Amino acid sequence: MTDVIEVKVPDIGDFTDVEVIEVHVKAGDEVAAEDSLITLETEKAAMDVPVPSAGRVEEIFISVGDKVSEGTVIIKLTAADSTVGLDSAAPAEVNTSSQTEVDPKQVAIPPNSYTGKADNETSLLILGAGPGGYTAAFRAADLGMDVTLVERWPSLGGVCLNVGCIPSKALLHAAKVIEEAHEMSEFGVKFAAPEINTIKLRDWKQSVVDRLTGGLAGLAKQRKVKVVQGTGTFLSPQHVRVEGDTGSQVIAFQQCIIAAGSEPAMIPGLPDDPRIIDSSGALELEDMPKRMLVIGGGIIGLEMATVYDALGVQVSVVELTKTLVPGCDPDLLRPLEKRIKGRYEAIYKGVGVTGVAAEKAGLLVSFEGNGAPEPQLYDKVLVAVGRSANGGKIGAELAGVKVSERGIIDVDKQQRTNVPHIFAIGDIVGQPMLAHKATHEGKVAAEVAAGEKSYFDARVIPGVAYTDPEIAWVGVTETEAKAQGLDYGKGAFPWAASGRALSVARDEGVTKIIFDNKTNKIIGCGIVGPNAGELIAEACLAIEMGCDATDIGLTIHPHPTLSETVGMAAEAFEGTLTDLYIPKRKK
Amino acid sequence: MTTRQEVLVPDIGDFDAVEIVEVMVAVGDNVAAEDSLITLETDKAAMDVPAPIAGKVLEMSVSLGDKVSEGSLILVLEAAEVVEAAPAEISATATPAVATGADPVASPVAESSSQSGPDTKSVRTTTPTALPPINEAGFAIAHASPSIRKFARELGVDLSRVQGSGPKQRIVPEDIKAFVKAIMTGQLAAASGPALPEVPVVDFAKFGAVEEKPLGRIQKISGPRLHASWVNLPHVTQNDEADITDMEAQRQALKARAAEKGVKLTPLAFAIRACVQALEEFPVFNTSMGPDNKTLIWKQYTHIGFAADTPNGLVVPVIRDADKKDVFELAAALADLSGRAREGKLKVEEMQGGTFTVSSLGGIGGTAFTPIINAPEVAILGMPRSKMQPVWNGEEFVPRLIQPLCLSYDHRVIDGATGVRFTTYLAARLGDAEGLIGRRRDD
Ligand SMILES: Cc1cc2nc3c(=O)[nH]c(=O)nc-3n(C[C@H](O)[C@H](O)[C@H](O)COP(=O)(O)OP(=O)(O)OC[C@H]3O[C@@H](n4cnc5c(N)ncnc54)[C@H](O)[C@@H]3O)c2cc1C
Repeated sequence: MTDVIEVKVPDIGDFTDVEVIEVHVKAGDEVAAEDSLITLETEKAAMDVPVPSAGRVEEIFISVGDKVSEGTVIIKLTAADSTVGLDSAAPAEVNTSSQTEVDPKQVAIPPNSYTGKADNETSLLILGAGPGGYTAAFRAADLGMDVTLVERWPSLGGVCLNVGCIPSKALLHAAKVIEEAHEMSEFGVKFAAPEINTIKLRDWKQSVVDRLTGGLAGLAKQRKVKVVQGTGTFLSPQHVRVEGDTGSQVIAFQQCIIAAGSEPAMIPGLPDDPRIIDSSGALELEDMPKRMLVIGGGIIGLEMATVYDALGVQVSVVELTKTLVPGCDPDLLRPLEKRIKGRYEAIYKGVGVTGVAAEKAGLLVSFEGNGAPEPQLYDKVLVAVGRSANGGKIGAELAGVKVSERGIIDVDKQQRTNVPHIFAIGDIVGQPMLAHKATHEGKVAAEVAAGEKSYFDARVIPGVAYTDPEIAWVGVTETEAKAQGLDYGKGAFPWAASGRALSVARDEGVTKIIFDNKTNKIIGCGIVGPNAGELIAEACLAIEMGCDATDIGLTIHPHPTLSETVGMAAEAFEGTLTDLYIPKRKK
Repeated sequence: MTTRQEVLVPDIGDFDAVEIVEVMVAVGDNVAAEDSLITLETDKAAMDVPAPIAGKVLEMSVSLGDKVSEGSLILVLEAAEVVEAAPAEISATATPAVATGADPVASPVAESSSQSGPDTKSVRTTTPTALPPINEAGFAIAHASPSIRKFARELGVDLSRVQGSGPKQRIVPEDIKAFVKAIMTGQLAAASGPALPEVPVVDFAKFGAVEEKPLGRIQKISGPRLHASWVNLPHVTQNDEADITDMEAQRQALKARAAEKGVKLTPLAFAIRACVQALEEFPVFNTSMGPDNKTLIWKQYTHIGFAADTPNGLVVPVIRDADKKDVFELAAALADLSGRAREGKLKVEEMQGGTFTVSSLGGIGGTAFTPIINAPEVAILGMPRSKMQPVWNGEEFVPRLIQPLCLSYDHRVIDGATGVRFTTYLAARLGDAEGLIGRRRDD
């Protein structure tokens, strides 16, 4: 029988965070007892860590440059079958393999050198014209740089303007009007059932998008930003080739900002069928289905579900994890779940999709997990299982830029990649994949490229689900505060006590602020209810300014507004709230 | 074909690191030959650097305020004649997909890549300076608004070191200004201390053939530590002499007994015995400065380090509880540790915990030297080669074996009188051959 053991860093004296200067094995290697696994270097000496027994390296957790301490796991080892014993061939094999093969992780990517001609040159090239890219381009141009913006799509604005934030919010507005009109019937104002013309609705949505992207083109022109349409790939740390409809050119640059964003992730193995769509397809409102399944209960999936539900589609949502909107506090999710449970055909949590078969009558989807239904037939399936960064698709390796397996490019606080004159911003540098993070990073990168001493020093990045009701949060969530064992307190104000919430007939909301118990400073905030996304901005400012509960509570908020709930949540924490009776908090 | 020409700072006389007080051109500008590119200002005069040829500025390598010397790269020009010579080729290769609103002057075909390989030079010059050392974790929680953080970044101020004077200790702009002022006027130590003047960089190859090899691993590690000790500890070296004639006789006499025990009695073993005795008498040599330099830590143990030369460089193994060992045991420990040091097989803990170090160069030679204290220890004994010398005994010169002693100590901890008392006492102990054998205190 084989045993898997973990080999850890042994007692190395008083040292902690000792640097690994060499790794002698890789996954799959056979090792003999006492073979060296890694070499550590302290201030005083280098030492080898030997493997305690012979076996096969299953997994290696350490690479050159890592800092380790006593107890750090180095490898997982499958002990060699004891009956086999150590024949002399084994160690020899180890030696040769560790000498001839090189662990790719240890080797810095050698950048390519391009010796051909450049057709154009620029001081700053920006790859991708999403919110990150165009913001960076404009800021750099305003700082006097000569900027070239490369974008493969015919219009500027990236995912956010073309197939993301903006079109989805336009459709969500339509959904909201439909819902509110319907709900008014209970209060004595009855409208006829809406007649929905999806073609006109789509045209209106497109006109909103076009207006914004057209505006961007104008802004680019005014700033003399050169826009080049085509798909860019690196040739070297100094050159990008742009392949456009009308031809190809090589642009030489002195500095570069990678802003190539992300794309919807797809579940592998799905049939090629036009009825299976991603978020971009969903925004097109083509062939409105009767019955639709949304795979993925994250923000994008639930927003699209909100739209399709309002437009009269029978919506089901399936989410692999146990909760919708992973990462959101459960108390904030509850009002949303309660509302959609009554409206959607089904919400499956902790259920996975095992297959989709394209049949003439529809898409036959099979499920697995606790509470999984029998296979169901849907007219459309929307896949919203996340987004994957585009780092692997731009030839970054030829520029020497390191890209993770998941397409993400690591950057420092100045948005620099491992190649100092190449920056990266937005979705391509990883979570959270949000437009307002991309624009902020874009400005930092542009300013640094222009020689300013800018850093990404924002302390928090808010997140909003524009569902009905909306959920918004910023900073530390209560779940995180608990998990990290923070000494925190919270002030929560239920909207049932807000005059404004009642007068818009939505009393399910909650405003909750998380405070540091030692300083009384706000460290997080979560809001659920209509307009939560607008309300969270105050909490963002308060966190950046280092406000404490008194600062927020003593700020006069206009009455009657939903924004009052923020002040009142702070008062609830302080014990000065009069609009509710909350027994005094113990201190 | 286009050509790139680097424009360098010409011979400007004896001046070095001259400031650029004006920059007249920018990337993309067309210049005529003899147009002024930059103005330099020495303490004697200002002078303009003219363009050697007409052309277009491709890259700027300097900016206002930079300090330059003869040979510094100012900018890269694209020679103008050549651009005019090949206009047809340019428009032919520029694809129609180029640039909405591209300025025709600003986008001629440039062969900035005509040299093979990436143009690292231009990259380096356009890359802004890297991150200054700021305590990022502290910066991220400082009570400072976004505008204050931006201001701090511009000046490179570590907010975690700034005391806020606003409401609830909020950091306000005045606090940052006061902080910078305090550093500039020397009232506050800059985080990393004032920069030391640099050793000039010399192009040795100018004077003959050279070969560059990396430092050894141990050198790389010990270099910064030695440097830290040298600049942080005020060293005093006390030189003295000990008469070790009797000790040497004793050593010869005990050789056979030592051989029975399987050890080789070296003079160093005796020297360490003597040091242990001196440390017992003057325990202040067995202390270390507390982390804030406000306390002194008195160690209740005596672990003696000794410098051992190995093929890979110098290491300092430590003999634990040297005060509990007699001279034979010390000799055995020395042999064991230095043997394994040479093989590179010392364990880390065998190089830790020293309270005092002995560096013996006796096998080689020398008369005196200044050993660098193995900080945070406070003293180190250096031992050059002993020598037979005539010594006046009151009546006549007699040949005596004299061992020079070089004791470096941290003057913050040990004053001069104590230093010389220590070496005097040490010399006396080295002269007392019987006392040097040592009975282990616990037997
Ligand atoms: C349905 C949906 C709704 C969303 N709603 C919100 C929201 O409400 N709020 C929010 O903050 N975020 C939202 N997002 C996320 C948001 O759109 C992204 O975070 C944001 O667009 C990221 O900006 P970016 O600049 O990093 O990249 P992107 O917007 O992805 O832009 C990258 C650009 O680069 C171009 N490109 C890529 N590769 C190349 C190449 N090789 N050559 C040339 N060009 C290239 C692409 O065509 C694209 O235009 C939503 C996303 C979706 C899909």
